Amino acid sequence: MPVRYGWCILLLCAFASPAQAQYDLEQPSSVWLRALVDVRLAGGGPAPSWTDHGRGKLRYGGSTESGDRVTRLALSQAALQVGAALPWDIRAQVQLNVEPDIADGYHPWLVEATLRKEWGEQKRGWGAQGGVMNVPFSLENVGPAWTPEFTISASALDSWLWEDMSLAGLEAEWWRTSRSGFRFDAMLGAGYGGDQIGRLLALRGWVLGDTLAGINGDEALPGRPDRTDIFNERDHKPTVYGWLSVEDPAQIAALKVGLLDNEGDESARAVWHTHFSTVALVLHPVAHVDVLAQFLDGTARVNAPPNDSSMSAWYTLVSYHYRQQRFSFRYDSFRVHDLDGGAAPSTSEHGHALTAAYLIQVGLRNRFALEYIWMSSHREAIGPLNPTPDGWQLSYRFRY
Amino acid sequence: MRRPLYVYRYKLLQLALLLCVTGVCVGAPSVSGTVTGPDGKAVADAVVFVQAPVPPAAKAPAGQIVDQIDKTFVPGLLPIVVGTSVRFPNHDQIHHHVYSFSPTKTFELPLYKGEEAPAVLFDKVGVVKIGCNIHDWMAGIILVLPTAHFAVTDAAGRFVLEDLAAGTYTLAAWHALSKLKPEDTAQSVEVGRDAANVTFKLPLAAARPRPAMHGSRAEP
Repeated sequence: MPVRYGWCILLLCAFASPAQAQYDLEQPSSVWLRALVDVRLAGGGPAPSWTDHGRGKLRYGGSTESGDRVTRLALSQAALQVGAALPWDIRAQVQLNVEPDIADGYHPWLVEATLRKEWGEQKRGWGAQGGVMNVPFSLENVGPAWTPEFTISASALDSWLWEDMSLAGLEAEWWRTSRSGFRFDAMLGAGYGGDQIGRLLALRGWVLGDTLAGINGDEALPGRPDRTDIFNERDHKPTVYGWLSVEDPAQIAALKVGLLDNEGDESARAVWHTHFSTVALVLHPVAHVDVLAQFLDGTARVNAPPNDSSMSAWYTLVSYHYRQQRFSFRYDSFRVHDLDGGAAPSTSEHGHALTAAYLIQVGLRNRFALEYIWMSSHREAIGPLNPTPDGWQLSYRFRY
Repeated sequence: MRRPLYVYRYKLLQLALLLCVTGVCVGAPSVSGTVTGPDGKAVADAVVFVQAPVPPAAKAPAGQIVDQIDKTFVPGLLPIVVGTSVRFPNHDQIHHHVYSFSPTKTFELPLYKGEEAPAVLFDKVGVVKIGCNIHDWMAGIILVLPTAHFAVTDAAGRFVLEDLAAGTYTLAAWHALSKLKPEDTAQSVEVGRDAANVTFKLPLAAARPRPAMHGSRAEP
C-alpha cells in the first residue's frame, strides 16, 4: 500500500510539473540571430552573365565556354543577421552575405553593421544610425535581409542602388505625423566609400539582379578581366544623400524624393563624381494590390581618364497579394548616354525589360518563387553582338 | 404632511447597507489591492486572477482582438479565459506575419491590410507569446486563464476584481517578468461583507526588449 501511495505521489508530481510551467515565459534574449538561404534553379543565356565578365544583363547567363544556354542549380544567397539590444535602447545589427557567383567565391560580404538609436514613437520621433549601410532609396529591397519583396530580381534601378553603394557613415532621420494624419519623413546621411559610384553603370550598364553589396566586395566588369571595388575612398570627401517622403493619412499613397551626390573630386585619378535624384511613388489603391513606380536620373563623370555619362531608369511594378501568395508584373526602362564621346568605348545603352513573378510563402520559414524576365537592350560599344537575354529562375528560400 | 428629506436619505442608507450585508451588491468591487515590487514600487501590467476555486463560467466568452497598429500589438498583454477566440486584424498598410511557437498555442497568420484572418481559438491554459516574423521587435502576450475573474494592474499597480460571490478564494498574480510562478504568489482571501484588500509583491527580472524601429529603415 505505501508503495502504491508513493507511485501516486510520483505520478502527481510528474503531472503537476507541466501545469506549474504553463505560465512560464521565456525572457527575451538581448541577442538574436536570423539567417536566410536562397537556392535557385536558373536558366539564361546564351550570352554569359556580367557576373562571368560577359555581356548578359541577368544574374545567370549562358555558358562562358560554348555560348549556349545553361540551366544551373546555384546557391544564390546565404545571409546571416545578428542583432543585439544594447543599453540605452541602442539596436546593433550586422549582416553578412555569401553570394558566390557575384563575389566570385564564398567569402562573406559585410552588407550591414550599424548602431541605431531612436527617440520618440511611430507618430513622431527621430533616429540616428551609424556604421556600414546602404542608401535606403530602394522601394523593392524591403524583404527579409534586404532582399526584393515582390520579385526575385529587382528592377534595373533598384538593382543598381543595392549593388553599387555601401557606405561607412552616419545618418539622421526625423518623422512626424501631422494632426491631419499625413506622415512626413526626412533623412540626411553622409558616408565614405562612394568614390566609384557610377562606374558600374558606365562600364557595364544597367542589369537586373539581386546583388546586395558588401563593403569588402567587388564586382565583375564585362569584357575585361578586372573587377570594380564597391567601397572605394580616394578623395576623402563624403557621399551625401537625402530622402524625403510624405504619406497620406489612409496610407494609400506615399511620395518619396531622394538625392545623392558623392562629391567626387574629378581632379583625382579614378574618382567618379556621381550625383542623381530619384522620385518614387508607392500606391495601395485597393486591398491586396501594391503599385510601385520609381524614376532616377543623374550623371557620372570621371576625368582621369575621361569617361562621362548620364543615366536614367524607371520602372512600374504592380503586385497582387493574397495571404501567402503574390503575383507581380514589372516594366523596366533604362538608358545610359555617353556625354563626352572620348577615346574610351561608348557607354551609351538603352533597353527595357518585362518581369513576371509568382511567390508563395509556405509557413514562416519557406518561400518558393518563379520569375521570368524578357529583356531587350542595345549597347553601342558592342554593336551587332548585343545579346537579347531572357531568363527564368525558380527559387526556394529558407528563412530562419 | 410631507416628510423631511433626511428621512428618505436615512431609508436609502439602510437599504444600501442591507444589500451589501446580504451580498447582493451587484457590480460592487469584491477584491481590490495592489501589486508592487519588493521595493514597494508599483508593478503595472500584472494580472491578478482567481486561481481556486474556479467559478463556473456564466456564458461563452466573448471574442477578443489583438490589433496591429504602428507595428505594435495592441494590446500588448491580453488576458483571456480559456475557450476564447482572438482575431488579429492588421491596421498597418504593411505586411505582418503573426506567429506563436508557445506550447500553449502554436499558430501563424500571414496578414495584410484588408484581409480578414480566421480567429484563433485558445483552448488551453497558459502563456502564449506572439511575434511578427517580419518586425522582430513586435511582441505580445496572450495569457490564457482558467477563470473569467482576472484584472490587470494599472500604472499605480492597482487592481479590482469584481462580481465575485461571497466565499473564500485563492488569488494569484502573474507578470511577464516575474521571478515567481503564480503558484508561489497565491493568497487566500475571504470575500464577504467587507471589501477585501490584497497586496502582492513580485520581484521582477531585468529585461532589455528589442528596440523598435519607426523610421524608413524599419520595413525589412
